Amino acid sequence: MNRLLVLLPALAALSATVATAQTPPSSRSVPAIDEGFKRVDANKDAKLDAQEFARFIERSRSMSGANAGEVFGKLDTNKDGALTLEEFRGIMGLSRGSSAPSSPNPSPTPTTPQPASTQPAPAPRTAEKATTPESLAFFERKIRPVLADKCYKCHSSDADKVKGGLALDTREATRAGGDSGHAVVPGDVEASLLIKAIRYHDSDLAMPPEKSGGKLADDVIKDFETWVQFGAPDPREGESKAARKADTWTTAKEWWAWQLPKKSPAPKVNDAAWPRNDIDRFLLSALETKGLKPVGDADKLTLLRRVTFDLTGLPPTPQEVSAFYNDNSPDGFKKVVDRLLESRQFGEKFGRHWLDVARYAESTGKDINLAFPNAWRYRDYVIAAFNKDKPYDQFLREQLAGDLLPATNDKQRAEQLIATGFLAIGTKSVNQANARQFALDLADEQIDTVSQALLGVTAACARCHDHKFDPIPQSEYYSLAGIFLSTDTHYGTFFAAQNRSATQLIELPKAAAAPVLPLVLSPQQRQQKQAELDKLIQETNDLANATFKPKAGGERNPRGQLLLLFRMNQIGLLESELGSFGPDGKMRPLAMGVMDQPAQRKESQTRGRDTPRYENSTPDQAIASRYLERDGRFARPPEFRVVNESPVFERGDVNKPGEKVPRGFLSVLTHQPPPKLPATSSGRRELAEWMLSDGNPLTARVMVNRVWLWLFGQGLVNSPDNFGTTGGKPANQALLDTLAVKFRESGWSVKQLIREIVLSHAYQLSSTYEEKNFTADPENTLVWRMSKRRLDAEAIRDAMLAICGQLDLRPRLGSSIAEYGNGPIGQFQQYPDAGVPEDVLVEAGSRTAMRSVYLPIARELLPDALAVFDFAEPGFVTGSRETTNVPSQALYMLNSPFIASAAQKFAEHVISTYPAGASNNDAQRVQFAYGLVFSRSPSEAEQQAAADFFAKFPSTTNADATTAWTSFCRALFASAEFRFLN
Amino acid sequence: MTSSNYPAFSRREMLKAASSGFGYLAFAGLAARAAEQSAASREGPLAPKQPHFPARAKHVIFLCMRGGPSHVDTFDYKPQLSAKSGAPGTRPGTKLLGSKWNFAQHGQSGLWISELFPNVANHADELCLLRSMQTDLPAHPQAFLQMHTGSFQFVRPSLGAWTLYGLGTGNENLPGFVTLTPPAASGGAQNYGSSFLPAIYQGTRIGSDNRPIASAEIRNLHSPLNPDVQRAELDLVQTLNRATLERDQFNPAVEGVIESYELAFRMQKEMPQVMDLSRETEATKTLYGLNNAATADFGHKCLLARRMVESGVRFVEVSHGDWDQHFNLSKALGANCASVDQPIAALLTDLKQRGLLKDTLVIWGGEFGRTPHAQGTDGRDHNNKAFSMWMAGGGVKGGFAHGLTDDYGYEAVEDKVRVPDLHATILHLLGLDHEKLTYNYAGRDFRLTDVKGNVVKEIIT
Repeated sequence: MNRLLVLLPALAALSATVATAQTPPSSRSVPAIDEGFKRVDANKDAKLDAQEFARFIERSRSMSGANAGEVFGKLDTNKDGALTLEEFRGIMGLSRGSSAPSSPNPSPTPTTPQPASTQPAPAPRTAEKATTPESLAFFERKIRPVLADKCYKCHSSDADKVKGGLALDTREATRAGGDSGHAVVPGDVEASLLIKAIRYHDSDLAMPPEKSGGKLADDVIKDFETWVQFGAPDPREGESKAARKADTWTTAKEWWAWQLPKKSPAPKVNDAAWPRNDIDRFLLSALETKGLKPVGDADKLTLLRRVTFDLTGLPPTPQEVSAFYNDNSPDGFKKVVDRLLESRQFGEKFGRHWLDVARYAESTGKDINLAFPNAWRYRDYVIAAFNKDKPYDQFLREQLAGDLLPATNDKQRAEQLIATGFLAIGTKSVNQANARQFALDLADEQIDTVSQALLGVTAACARCHDHKFDPIPQSEYYSLAGIFLSTDTHYGTFFAAQNRSATQLIELPKAAAAPVLPLVLSPQQRQQKQAELDKLIQETNDLANATFKPKAGGERNPRGQLLLLFRMNQIGLLESELGSFGPDGKMRPLAMGVMDQPAQRKESQTRGRDTPRYENSTPDQAIASRYLERDGRFARPPEFRVVNESPVFERGDVNKPGEKVPRGFLSVLTHQPPPKLPATSSGRRELAEWMLSDGNPLTARVMVNRVWLWLFGQGLVNSPDNFGTTGGKPANQALLDTLAVKFRESGWSVKQLIREIVLSHAYQLSSTYEEKNFTADPENTLVWRMSKRRLDAEAIRDAMLAICGQLDLRPRLGSSIAEYGNGPIGQFQQYPDAGVPEDVLVEAGSRTAMRSVYLPIARELLPDALAVFDFAEPGFVTGSRETTNVPSQALYMLNSPFIASAAQKFAEHVISTYPAGASNNDAQRVQFAYGLVFSRSPSEAEQQAAADFFAKFPSTTNADATTAWTSFCRALFASAEFRFLN
Repeated sequence: MTSSNYPAFSRREMLKAASSGFGYLAFAGLAARAAEQSAASREGPLAPKQPHFPARAKHVIFLCMRGGPSHVDTFDYKPQLSAKSGAPGTRPGTKLLGSKWNFAQHGQSGLWISELFPNVANHADELCLLRSMQTDLPAHPQAFLQMHTGSFQFVRPSLGAWTLYGLGTGNENLPGFVTLTPPAASGGAQNYGSSFLPAIYQGTRIGSDNRPIASAEIRNLHSPLNPDVQRAELDLVQTLNRATLERDQFNPAVEGVIESYELAFRMQKEMPQVMDLSRETEATKTLYGLNNAATADFGHKCLLARRMVESGVRFVEVSHGDWDQHFNLSKALGANCASVDQPIAALLTDLKQRGLLKDTLVIWGGEFGRTPHAQGTDGRDHNNKAFSMWMAGGGVKGGFAHGLTDDYGYEAVEDKVRVPDLHATILHLLGLDHEKLTYNYAGRDFRLTDVKGNVVKEIIT
């Protein structure tokens, strides 16, 4: 017999009191247990380490045969190598059928039994032994793990195919059996087909199949026989899905990403001369393990082009090429890196990376797409943050809770308020009629973004049910939701027939002198518009009030309803326009962002009422009341107008609020006592501190992985926004973890991290193909070379503008969306004199020469120049963009007026640099053009190909020459080499 | 700025810089080859290929209803569900929700179809209902990706890309795989991507989700140059590209660029004609519902799909959303069906009268079904254990229903068809053996169906 059965009586004795009292095996105090804990806690640190625990097992007469290490491992739920009293109390749970003893967040126990099976479960042949705690523990320890590991894949209700009609994931199903008969007959080993199958005597029945590891070990088979003999005790009631989830979660808790990162010493490598820093040692060690060697180094100019595009999104200028080529000093490359990191273009490049993650856009998207005319402030905040190397912890803190942080002056206060725009710029269904639904959707969008962008987890999956794959219970989703529901999000937009959810923006402190667009509303204009508005309001009030008067005869004129809707839009637009200018006629410094809800509800807000007066009235009365109560007092349900806890909404249904849960964080990412949440503020600040604490395993890892991806084209974890169990495992965890810990220890400096990566030998490798390496690691996850990468959309456009001498490097104040103010994206009849024309958005890339990061980003109507090359979809967090190669890109390069114009400017630039002279200077021109586009000289072959090309276009006039050269220059832009980084 | 401040390289340095032994001769040779290929670019990767066995269908039109249409309200008749409406569901705290719509038998075959599809019901005897569909997960992105690529864990080529890879296309002047207004969410471009297959096989997107197809265009389709001049310019581009490819030795992305240019060049002539509906008769436009606000958009897409198939496009996907009716089922599902019913019926009629239906496999469905119990009072939740799809034309039995769900539509119980089975069947109808249609990547042969998939032989004529 095995040791566990020896152990069982001891556990049974220990848990006797508990079992009879029907108390869940949680942190309930049991004197005997707590006594035992104290006795063996030799150093009185309130924790038992493995040695102390082993002593406990030794001293316990009846347990002396047990494997202390194994039991310890089970009890140590957070795997920190020590048992707290609470974990130790779980020793009782072992005997009560809980697979995760004293879990701090026990998964909900299924309550409804499975519908009766068609095949009735047989009564046990021999008297079924009573299901005892010890027999259940035996099941949990010896049977369930084997079933989950070896059988569920094919024999559970969630399996791809339930083979042979047999499910083994509930007690009912197991006893009912499948096509061949009862799998388990309690007490009758010989009649149980499951036993027959695992004994492997009958080749037709033999299970598990070879591909799942084949025949089980003999002692495991014995365990199963014992289990059946003892009546096959089995606690797995109810829906098999729930049973499976518990099993999935148990495994999921051991997932690498939930454990804290640990710094490792750099490994020893055989080729000690190769590494330049620790990054290289980690990478080389992994390569050497596989018998691989990195390829050779990139040549100087390839490297310069690479690092310049990577850090600034622009090609190196000819002067920069020349300077670096002629600089033979040992720190030549380091000087280049320092120069690039100090340039303003660095922030524009890396800021844009972050804007992908922050799903930055300047409109609501969704059904009614309305402009966010002040979103650009957040864009500029992000660019500036990267440029000044704002420590990432501060960057994160400001974006989550800038409004709650202390500020030494108004400028800092303004900056921190703008940072919270991160939470306000997401997509919104502003036409949502149900205010509670809107509030919960808003919080959901924030949870989704925050959890993916900052933590690399998909917490929003737990809105309607416990997360299917990661240990995130639904209750914890609503703990987070409480934080965001206690937050007031200011995203602006204007009151309109189709917008039920307009909000005010945040006015920045005057002394901060935040920049504003140079638009002016003169006193005359103000007077005129105000008069217009007053008149409209007067008329519309009459129209609205009339809907409540008794009908004067017959049906009300349906056109009256339409007119009312139209007037609402006019009034909303005028009010918003007047509101965006200050008394001095200049624009008010308004920003998107968040603030806390008040700690206590102000009764005056709703004048004592919770619902709109005319909620249950006729359609036109409903419209009229929306107009009459347009101050937004009913835009949010009363329970979310105050710092509050959120109920768990059953299946995410807003009409089914359940028990309230305290605000809080995700326990799977909590390795230290989390900050206490104040009753008087939302808790966003504490959320930020929880993310930034040493006890959070993901925040630093996720950001380090992002920076790695931005420089290598793929992350060490290839699913940058999902580190959960459905995401990837790190290609080199020791490297990722060491970088993550160092990132935190070094004060979260992003520039320092970039510098370390870029100065590594690995970053400076050639992108050459090498067959042996490729066969072993085609995805280059081990970094045996630099991956070839396509330039992103912004770099393609900016580089072309730079090459033809047109790029305007000045930062742009605001954006074209800002100039149009509040209104829809696109122009529509029902919004007179408002809205951003579609062509202003779609053609933006070709109408200005500013850097792409400043182009207007309206959801659904991206600039063509960016959309064609796989710009980030701004509807959601985008950690890694797609890179397609499709005909629409080819057509864009060949036929678009923008490329034609850029190519012509480029041609003129080339021709004017080498004006027509006595001799043919095409070769010099080709040389010059190649330098600008590819950062290298043409080969003789390429010179010849160019000459052949020009021979087809004999140019007798200057115009001819420009035409031929325009074609040539376009061909260079269109080439794959221009579009790719080697 | 002059060349003096720019380093000039000797040829030797140049070769070194390019990290390869690529020299003038090779370059010249390539240039000649490029010219040759552009002169007569046949036998390209898109050229028609022989199927593994005689094909029943040559084209596919996949009418993809994004969001998970409710099967119990459309094609899976559940009288028990209606009878027990309001009774507790199998999940705790839920109540069964009978369909608000009446079902009736249609055609000679007597297929049960709900009143939501009165026009499609007229084609009952062409329809092959798959009522026992299942997919792995009840979550949109995963299920949508699985439906399109067979996998949600890994980036894999899409069904359309595999089809194009296996069969080439009938018209090399058009993209062989077109997707009309696909969603940006739920996996986005992966759903029509080529993954490790050569990039030329990825779908060409026209229009985007939530934007009317009438405003969608293939931008930049018209060249400002005369065709000869443009060809000369393009030859230069391709010469450069081939040189890049030669230096890189292995670079599928550059191959993709090269092929995309050739296709783009040819598309310039033919695509505008396919997209132009002006030559269609008024009768045809009316048939597709272009004169009616509710049906105009989807009708336009269906008509485009027919025009594309007629011109030789291999695989056309037509998207419609959003079918995710967690609430407001009665209105929103009704409106969805009203906007697609007439256009779909028109497509079937039109294909048939042009003799195209026998060669074209039309597929209707979404990524999963919905629960028989209510979510809220007027909605249904996701259900991956049961949903309905249907096929028509292209070698499938008409007036036929395959598979069964339980009495309420919770779960498929008989003749289950899982996504890999569906994929295997589609490929089979196209004359492709799903176990033989492989692509070697990273030392391993990959398949659309991975290690799964059984052809549903019962539905094939």
